[in-house]
Amino acid sequence: MKIIYTDALVVGGGLAGLRSAIAARDKGLDTIVLSMVPVKRSHSAAAQGGMQASLANSVKGEGDNEDIHFADTVKGSDWGCDQKVARMFVTTAPKAIRELAAWGVPWSRIGKGERTVVINGKHETFNERDEAYGLINARDFGGTKKWRTCYTSDATGHTMLYAVANEALKRDVDIHDKKEAISIIHDNGVCHGVIVRDLINGELIAYVARGTMIATGGYGRIYKQSTNAIICKGIGTAIVLETGIAELGNMEAVQFHPTPIVPSGILLTEGCRGDGGVLRDKDGYRFMPDYEPEKKELASRDVVSRRMIEHIRKGKGVKSPYGDHLWLDISILGREHIEKNLRDVQDIAISFNGIDPADEGPKGWMPVLPMQHYSMGGIRVKPTGESTTMKGLFSAGEAACWDLHGFNRLGGNSVSEAVVSGMIVGEYFAQYCHETHLNTNTSVIEGHLEAQINYLKEILSYDGGLNIFDIKDEMRSIMQEKVGIFRNGDDLLEAVHRLEALLKKTKEITVESKSLGNNPGLNEAYRVPKMLKLALCAAKGALQRTESRGAHYREDYPKRDDMHWLKRTITTWENPEDTLPSIHYEEIDIMEMEMPPAFRGYGRKDSLIENPMSAQREAEIEEIRKTLGTVDRFTIQEALLDYELPGKLKHKNERVGVGYA
Amino acid sequence: MPENENYREIEITVFRYNPQDKDSTPEYQTYTLTETPGMTLYIALIQIWSKMDHDLSFDFVCRAGICGSCSMVVNGKPRLACKTRTNEFEDGKITLLPLPAFKHIKDLSVDTGNWMNAMSKKLESWIHTQEETDLSRIEKPVDPEVADEVFELDRCIECGICLASCSTKIMRDDFVGAVGLNRTARFSIDPHDQRTDEDFYELIGDENGVFGCMSLMGCEDHCPKNLPLQTKIAYMRRKMVKVK
Amino acid sequence: MLSRGYTTELLTGKDSSKRKSRIPARIDFLQSVSGLVLALFIMFHLVFESSILLGKDAMYMLTKVFEGEPFIQGGEPLIISVLAFIIFAFFVLHAGVAMRKFPSSYKEYRRYTEHKALLNHNDTNLWYVQIMTGFIMFFLGSIHLYIMMTQPENIGPYASSDRVYSDLMWPMYLVLLISVVLHAGIGLYRLIIKWGVFDGKDPKANRQRSRRIAKVLVTAYLLLGLASLGAYMRIGYEHRGEYGQRYVPGSGK
Repeated sequence: MKIIYTDALVVGGGLAGLRSAIAARDKGLDTIVLSMVPVKRSHSAAAQGGMQASLANSVKGEGDNEDIHFADTVKGSDWGCDQKVARMFVTTAPKAIRELAAWGVPWSRIGKGERTVVINGKHETFNERDEAYGLINARDFGGTKKWRTCYTSDATGHTMLYAVANEALKRDVDIHDKKEAISIIHDNGVCHGVIVRDLINGELIAYVARGTMIATGGYGRIYKQSTNAIICKGIGTAIVLETGIAELGNMEAVQFHPTPIVPSGILLTEGCRGDGGVLRDKDGYRFMPDYEPEKKELASRDVVSRRMIEHIRKGKGVKSPYGDHLWLDISILGREHIEKNLRDVQDIAISFNGIDPADEGPKGWMPVLPMQHYSMGGIRVKPTGESTTMKGLFSAGEAACWDLHGFNRLGGNSVSEAVVSGMIVGEYFAQYCHETHLNTNTSVIEGHLEAQINYLKEILSYDGGLNIFDIKDEMRSIMQEKVGIFRNGDDLLEAVHRLEALLKKTKEITVESKSLGNNPGLNEAYRVPKMLKLALCAAKGALQRTESRGAHYREDYPKRDDMHWLKRTITTWENPEDTLPSIHYEEIDIMEMEMPPAFRGYGRKDSLIENPMSAQREAEIEEIRKTLGTVDRFTIQEALLDYELPGKLKHKNERVGVGYA
Repeated sequence: MPENENYREIEITVFRYNPQDKDSTPEYQTYTLTETPGMTLYIALIQIWSKMDHDLSFDFVCRAGICGSCSMVVNGKPRLACKTRTNEFEDGKITLLPLPAFKHIKDLSVDTGNWMNAMSKKLESWIHTQEETDLSRIEKPVDPEVADEVFELDRCIECGICLASCSTKIMRDDFVGAVGLNRTARFSIDPHDQRTDEDFYELIGDENGVFGCMSLMGCEDHCPKNLPLQTKIAYMRRKMVKVK
Repeated sequence: MLSRGYTTELLTGKDSSKRKSRIPARIDFLQSVSGLVLALFIMFHLVFESSILLGKDAMYMLTKVFEGEPFIQGGEPLIISVLAFIIFAFFVLHAGVAMRKFPSSYKEYRRYTEHKALLNHNDTNLWYVQIMTGFIMFFLGSIHLYIMMTQPENIGPYASSDRVYSDLMWPMYLVLLISVVLHAGIGLYRLIIKWGVFDGKDPKANRQRSRRIAKVLVTAYLLLGLASLGAYMRIGYEHRGEYGQRYVPGSGK
């Protein structure tokens, strides 16, 4: 039996995982990062458009600060997020981006003098401030008041990931790639590590550590059409669920991005619209201003995606063999801009569709359709990143429901969350690993290892004749059709029943190759049941949530219901034999909010069931402000919501022209 | 897409071998499938895997030409499979081999991660500076053009195609290749990095480094990101030769 | 004798000040410089040699110029010897430093050739030509240079032609000619790329241009060299009866 001991164990080699590993190494802990793929291939690399941080360097970001970023994030989440976490996040984001700059991320910088941009379909020229010359630039993104999204062309995630991965290598973080965690080792409610399958030779290895961090990203691949990389199967989330103890949060909160390209589903960044690109229908008509007169194409993603489908349902979609779609037009930005700031978008359109988006007129329009993009839900953790119910188990990034995003994430907040949570949660994780001593015995470890060996052998012994790939395809179709952008009770109920039946069927398969070694067929056979469990969590959570909030939209309950549904969905899988998850709810207390629920400023106006506590809290806040009199924004903020950050992360952030104000 | 009798059949021949299995012998296996419009090697291989042969190993991650996982040799040319359209090949015959120059895992899968990590460590591919960064303070300004120049070189995705196209690397495994030399060029122009040419000489001033390159340009001619590899190797060579 | 400097390098891979040896940089530079000198030499050499195409007198005159006749009565063939020796020195130096790039074992050779066949990439194929022609020149170049060093007096319209034809040296010269022109042409092109000399604003286009120029030069020099060799062959054939006789200038014979 192979057992590897370390101090800190990180599962997942994307931005969140690697940044956490750095935090652990900086405390002198032996740190191992496990990854299914070479870490620099992680899905973080696919983030294109940018990272939000309120630097306020550009004129278009002037006046921006943590408060505005906070408000945008809370509104974006449709008040589903944890405002304490949002505060932790917005305060740390400028530090994260400055750290990354020092680590060499070649952020696009502000030039001298005039800058011409496209806003609302028209060219506008303005002057950048001299004192901002050479500082980090920003572009516009959906759902934000200020231009706050910092970028490196449209390969932002790539440059960030490479910088962080190289810093991890510098610190001798031990990276073990082609390793897949397939089960959590735990005992008495404490996590001691994971059982890992070596994807090269099939060997099972127990990795045992003082603390374990799951940073394995989202579960987008349970959908048929997703922008996610094909490794985003949510296996890390699923093995946490399978402990029966740890909880998942808001699994029904799934984001659909407005502009993946048809049919491949490859993402075209929000930067396309942020930089001035527009959406057009079959008549070439720009329809978004009709639906969202204020934010137009730059409302939050959930809103734009729904408006697009609404428009297609009115018969305005463009017919194609792959179904109806709409057009994304960035040709108005000009060839020079596209080839500099949107070159991957151009490359994708040319490579996969034979369309050069810099070509003027309809020739350059790219076919787009909303598709699954991001998992707001995930492993439910405290603000420190530790599981609410299992000690020693941490989670960060998309895998976690830290709860920064609530029911809708803003564009540019994902890579930002990944590094920021890597800094914050990574620090708490490192502290935990530093203070905790391994307290388990080998029989527990061996027990877990043996259970997994037996499980794999059991799968190989199934002889029902079904093909696991067919089951997977069916699951993905069900999720696509029944648990999509527009949801309703009947469809969701059907989805839950069919998914449950599919889960049972996973024991009636036959795996052709009986090898316990390198066996890609076996990989799928143990992954699909895990994916199905996540799909069931999402479907059942969606079925039970009889309201519409953020990305979760119920046609039969179209209003956001703050009276009954200002709560987080908590899902567990109590017994391994169960075929359905158990769901309970965690209340979100309005009286503790810095910003009580209200209208978001975009989306439907009349779709709100208000909670009287909102007004009560609003009055309370007014009272606190009055009592405080004229004090700076930090004092007011502290009085409204108390939050903690480790080390120097809570320090004020300096900005051009305003200093630390 | 509906089945359509106008679609042609294509033949995909794949190198099959599992070095970990004593009973496995290297062989070529041919799969016949119907070509659909816009079909890429990603779509084709996933189809083969899910419908015809569950045991076939290959690597895809982003399937969008961003992550560099799916490099393989397609009819003799190392390239990214996800960005390769099947209709490029007029006779409809495509032969796929794993990337040479890397440790073979199985079928089309090779181990690039460990090699790339070792290279990154060997070349100390991170910013070296004595300056302490106060994260609360305004970041150091950088000339926008210099930032763009660094970004241009930072676009490398470590796909390994430059190495698989390199005669030196094929003969001498310790050669850092274009990926490594481009990386040093990237840091040498980064204003955050305080290393001098002498420091870089310590990393690449030998036959495993810049002087191992024979300028055969396999790297640049096959780079899927169109990086100016040869230009940057020449740049580093000129610098390194001048080091006292 | 223990040389502390080298032993330190043997044991640590660094010199005594813990720096990486600067020798690889010098060698790399020397390879390029010696190659450049040799290539330029060959370019002139073939042009001078082609003087035979303008007639025996032209060739005779040129030979004498190289023997220093403007300054020394009757010329001094030893000058040719010295020149040949200098070139030979460059030749040995170049071969010595360039050899380190050659496949150094059968395994390397096999890996290279198989990879080359798989890739079928232009510049990679060209390097095979460099290895082969370089290898050939080890021998043929040495023979030629040895003769020039030891028998400098045997250069002239008849002397050279007799050597080519009657002494049966023409097959060697034919092979040497092709090898040297290809090697020099490709080598020059490689130098330009290696150091990025004409990279300019658009390196890709400029490399293509360098490539085209190199192709034209190689073709022109091959034609010129073959024509000259043909001329020596013809003269040697006509002169076979009087083998050994030297040319008398102005005689036309």
